[in-house]
Amino acid sequence: MRLAFIGKGGSGKSTVSGTVARILARDRGPVLALDVDPLPGLAFSLGLGHIPEAGLPEDLAERREGSGWVLKAEVSAEDLVERYGIAGPDGIRFLQLGKMPHKVRPGSTVAFRHVIESFHRPGWSVVGDLSAGTRQAFAGWASFATRLAIVAEPSAAGLLTARRLRRMAEIMPNVGLGLILNKLDGAGSPDVIAAELGMPLWGVVPYDDEVARSERQGLAPIDAAPDSAAVRAIERLVRRMGEAGQ
Amino acid sequence: MKIGIVGKGGSGKTTTAGILARRLARTGHSVLALDCDANPNLGIALGLGVDETERLAAIRQSLEEEGAEHAPTVSEMLQRFGAQAPDAIRLAVVTKIDTPNPG
Repeated sequence: MRLAFIGKGGSGKSTVSGTVARILARDRGPVLALDVDPLPGLAFSLGLGHIPEAGLPEDLAERREGSGWVLKAEVSAEDLVERYGIAGPDGIRFLQLGKMPHKVRPGSTVAFRHVIESFHRPGWSVVGDLSAGTRQAFAGWASFATRLAIVAEPSAAGLLTARRLRRMAEIMPNVGLGLILNKLDGAGSPDVIAAELGMPLWGVVPYDDEVARSERQGLAPIDAAPDSAAVRAIERLVRRMGEAGQ
Repeated sequence: MKIGIVGKGGSGKTTTAGILARRLARTGHSVLALDCDANPNLGIALGLGVDETERLAAIRQSLEEEGAEHAPTVSEMLQRFGAQAPDAIRLAVVTKIDTPNPG
């Protein structure tokens, strides 16, 4: 499964995508988890406990006449993940490519998108947490994905943002697009909301105090609140997506 | 008084800005509210409603798509890319709204 998450800031993208990555790692085998948000947060919901330095060295990129920024020829994406991916719980490998630790040459991070695009290992899943909002939500970073999940809270601003993101996703016609409604509090019908947004409903995650508490503590919901209603709901949606194919 | 409000996504920037603007407007200040977010939702927090908020965003976006002309002065900008919000607040969407770049 190659899955990217987008959504408004605060919609719970990182919480949902981190939990999805952990469940995939338990159920289906190794997972490459990517944080490409310039304000990273995925490391917490994956259960790493802190935000590590987990980037790729910038000198792996070179500018080539005619093709722009590319990865140097002698390294493969699989080698780079093996070498630089931080090991997380359940055998996850984690890379953080949105926030670069120091000044980088303008445009050079494009080469790292190619790393993600070309990373293919049999049996592995790739889960990406993209930048918040509609600002450069795609900017090439979703190009690795075969499926794109829009995470939305059922607020007016949340649903308006989801509608904008759905429109923006029209430039990727070959990617399966779906809606995950997060922090639902009982009001409103998920099916009606999804129909109004014109997207298939992949899952509904209830508002959950236990998950909110684990976020305040910087802990992964799947570790701190494994039996919470929200984590259970994310488990169900991952299994449904698995049944729906790769 | 010129106040900028910044913070992480989901921290409540827009909600805070909306309440602050309405409060200032009700206590005798003339308020200009600027939505500087590439995903502009301040209209909703100010009480302008979803449709009008989206209409403003679309007007601003048409500038990038060359369907609208840039405003040569500040007052024309507020006229062209703005709307009247409750408590006599003038709201304008001023930042560029990103369109996806397949890269």
